[in-house]
Amino acid sequence: MASAQGQFLAFDEFGRPFIVIREQEKRARVKGLEAQRANINAARAVSNLLRTSLGPKGMDKILVSQDGDVTITNDGATIMEKMDVKHQVAKLLVELSQSQDNEIGDGTTGVVILAGALLESALNLLDKGLHPLRVCDGFERACAIAVKHLEATSQELDVFANNNELLKKAAVTCLCSKVVSNRQNELAAIAVEAVLDVADIKRKDVNFEHIKVEGKPGGSLEDTCLIRGIVIDKDMSHPQMAKVVKDAKIAILTCPFEPPKPKTKHKLEISNAEDYRKLYEQEQQYFVKMIEDVKNSGSNIVICQWGFDDEANYLLHANKLPAVRWVGGVEIELIAMATGARIVPRFSELSSEKLGRAACVREIGFGTTDDKMIVIEGCANTSAVTVLVRGGNKMIVDEAKRCLHDALCVVRNLIRDSRIVYGGGCAELMASLEITKVVDMEPSIEQYAMRGFADALEDISNALAENSGLNPIETTTWLKNEMKNDPSKRYGVDCNGVGINDMKELNVYESLQSKVQQLQLATQVVRMILKIDDVFAPSEYS
Amino acid sequence: MDKLIHTGDKATVTNDGATIIQLLDIVHPAAKALADVAEAQDNEVGDGTTSVMILSGEFLKEAKSFIEDGMHSRTIIKGFREATRIAVQKIRDVEYKVTNHQSPEFRELLVKCAKTSLNSKLVASYKEFFAEIVVDAVMKLDADLEKNMIGIKHVQGGSVLNSFLVDGVAFKKTFSYAGFEQQPKKFENPKIVILNLELELKSEKENAEIRIENPEDYQSIVDAEWDIIYGKLENIAKTGAKVVLSKLPIGDLATQYFADRNMFCAGRVAQEDILRVAKATGGQVLTTVSEIAETSLGTVGYFEELQIGAERYNIFKDCPNSKTATIVLRGGAEQYIEEAERSLNDAIMVVRRAIKHASVVAGGGAIEMELSRIIREYSRTISGKHQLVVNSYARALEIIPKTLAENAGFDAVEILNKLRQKHAAASNEGRWFGVDVNKGSIFDTFEQNIWEPSLVKVNAISAACEAACLVLSVDETVKAAKSEQEVTQAEMALRGRGRGRRFRK
Repeated sequence: MASAQGQFLAFDEFGRPFIVIREQEKRARVKGLEAQRANINAARAVSNLLRTSLGPKGMDKILVSQDGDVTITNDGATIMEKMDVKHQVAKLLVELSQSQDNEIGDGTTGVVILAGALLESALNLLDKGLHPLRVCDGFERACAIAVKHLEATSQELDVFANNNELLKKAAVTCLCSKVVSNRQNELAAIAVEAVLDVADIKRKDVNFEHIKVEGKPGGSLEDTCLIRGIVIDKDMSHPQMAKVVKDAKIAILTCPFEPPKPKTKHKLEISNAEDYRKLYEQEQQYFVKMIEDVKNSGSNIVICQWGFDDEANYLLHANKLPAVRWVGGVEIELIAMATGARIVPRFSELSSEKLGRAACVREIGFGTTDDKMIVIEGCANTSAVTVLVRGGNKMIVDEAKRCLHDALCVVRNLIRDSRIVYGGGCAELMASLEITKVVDMEPSIEQYAMRGFADALEDISNALAENSGLNPIETTTWLKNEMKNDPSKRYGVDCNGVGINDMKELNVYESLQSKVQQLQLATQVVRMILKIDDVFAPSEYS
Repeated sequence: MDKLIHTGDKATVTNDGATIIQLLDIVHPAAKALADVAEAQDNEVGDGTTSVMILSGEFLKEAKSFIEDGMHSRTIIKGFREATRIAVQKIRDVEYKVTNHQSPEFRELLVKCAKTSLNSKLVASYKEFFAEIVVDAVMKLDADLEKNMIGIKHVQGGSVLNSFLVDGVAFKKTFSYAGFEQQPKKFENPKIVILNLELELKSEKENAEIRIENPEDYQSIVDAEWDIIYGKLENIAKTGAKVVLSKLPIGDLATQYFADRNMFCAGRVAQEDILRVAKATGGQVLTTVSEIAETSLGTVGYFEELQIGAERYNIFKDCPNSKTATIVLRGGAEQYIEEAERSLNDAIMVVRRAIKHASVVAGGGAIEMELSRIIREYSRTISGKHQLVVNSYARALEIIPKTLAENAGFDAVEILNKLRQKHAAASNEGRWFGVDVNKGSIFDTFEQNIWEPSLVKVNAISAACEAACLVLSVDETVKAAKSEQEVTQAEMALRGRGRGRRFRK
């Protein structure tokens, strides 16, 4: 860090440094163009890593965490999150993909690659001597043009027409880049069904908390199914209890099947055998009373947040009351919502109107393993659905869950805003063409930056072509040419090699909202990175 | 440009002068004096911190050459003070005043000031958007313009343009227990109970101990505890309130109780949010629920829980005596939002100042150029050494337009010369010419609506002068040796002597 020494300092006449900042010899400072270059390189290192994961032929990454957990994925947001990036500027990109994930749920890889491409073209411009702020301004102007153009050329679709055909196709577009692509149609159908089940079409809103995606290794992906109800990873508290309850009346309790305990510190002193016997009897009484309360309310299954005493467990079984114990708060809530039950904190408050209703509660086992799950189906005010994902191993299941999440998000976004643009790099190329068209009108030197933005947009289709084993330059040039000659065409990279480039025909599309978000987010983050001209850091940072 | 500063694990990206200085952790005494001035400016007016630093640095630079020529530092200080007096007076003379606070013109003025403040920030491209938000937010406040009454919330995700202003209070959904989802999430004209009370089944006194003589009594103790909590809940429900907020936790029992009665509750609400809700709804923060008076309940036009990005927010809108506002900021990265918040903070401060003193001057270096000209002219009327000092002060003021031009990537010398020529013109027309950072030339910044509250400028110039004088008036630094620590070579260098000249004889 010898070179970093002295960068901070002011010197006196004899060349001795002043100490201006605490522990300044331990801190490093990078300044000016050098800082920008270092930051851009760090950010690009990250985006290059993701580059090969873009598109239907994108590759997966294995990520091994510190404690040896293995994740295999090509989901941009997940890769970024698990990479544990140290460099601060690279971290910005991680957050970038995460905010795309939070807001849209899809396109997390694309946004990072776009940001990387923008930075690359910014670096060229900086080397030409353009001031970083002017580059940013140019990028922002170009971004505005691109967004406007995409909005103008987007298509409003009736997503529910033809048996939700379009929603399914959008979900397929999203899934085709994933490891589960061989089952894309089935999974897409599941995703669409799940979303439509809980969607509030009038308000155009989908509450994701009502869709649960549960995974269970074992079986194969084909066994993945949608359950119109709730699945909880628990079993009946007593192995001999009934495994199926039809017309279930569910009592949901948040108190344990145990004699009540006051919260105040208390002490019970027993001085003689008579009292002891009384105490024992009273305890027995409690259990009997509890079971009675449950029975009297008319309930035929009990779901409890806490544990049961062995005594209680036996009594429940003896009274033919199946019960599930140690159910988490979130699930309790979900069950209560779905079945219309009220959560009851005391046995004495149980009554028949506080019970939840479901057509069927059953315990299912999987394969030869001892794994059991409780399925609650046909809930009274059902709005909750569960997707049960099966797969060969834990990694596949986890990845499939992530893929489903993306697909769910895509479907939701289309329900919210049904305007679409075409995928396969088509939207980016169109924006790029539009910018190139108007850029010559720009009198100031931002013109250069805007052209840089247009170039960067092509990088998406380049990366797609590269990952699909095509010649990137050739493909992109040809596509651009085709679209330039006929602006009504929607051509994109033919990733699957079916010989068709018309994205309309291939039904490859994405929601406009997602694309616009990608462009805006990437531009904003690039601006932030370019605006940094000074980095103060601990000296081990480089 | 921005700086990226690491402190521990956290990185901050900012170009807010006060924030940079704070994070740098300056130890050099003279440098620290300057840093304090910037901080004072931040506290006093909230904007112009960078200007203060640049100005005082430039004053000192000018002073250095005089000191090297053997001029006494007192003479310099006197000259600087005199020049500052004239500068402040001149600002007062030329400032543009709006007296009618109700006129649309006044609002216009505020928006322009906010825009100018935002110009230099990361969110500059959205300045129109944010300026409106900031002005609307500040206008909501009552007469004393307490800044705490504007809340700024971050929600990562989305574009900056998805940020919005809530006329009232918004805060993130607090931790909730089972049963919360069954509560209704939307009310019109609900009454609100605001509590500083824990609603949970618990022992009433920490160290109490109960001795039970015989087993039959056991149940009565259990029941007694339940009665206490149920009593509290009933009292709340009886008031007819629909929304219950508490600073302390609201347990699962209470959550479910409220769910049963179609009420909404949120526990562990942050102190500042509670206070703002109280202020906005006209309610009072209660510490007990026995005998809740009708008057201590708050009320609000509309309450809703809303999904914003990945977070859920409780939003209180259309408050009857709304004296509070909340800005919800969106953005791609946390650092981005943080920087946006800092920028908005500056803008809010500027607008507040502008409301209190409805007078503005033109920004973009115009006022500095004008002052520079006037002070230069004035200097010619003085005889004696002061003339030199005052003249150098005039030169130092030009650093502001110069830096503006440089930072925008233009030829500073050329722009500065053009500006000097304009300002020197006999007529008054040229007096508001400043740097056009977009085109790299000069224009009338007053007409271009680059306005700053004159108070910011007055404060900046006087503070910078004071800081410079403070440093100049020091002729010796005595530093207590660090106890039992070796004084390193570098630290030795600190003990400079002489009038600002840092070498030992």
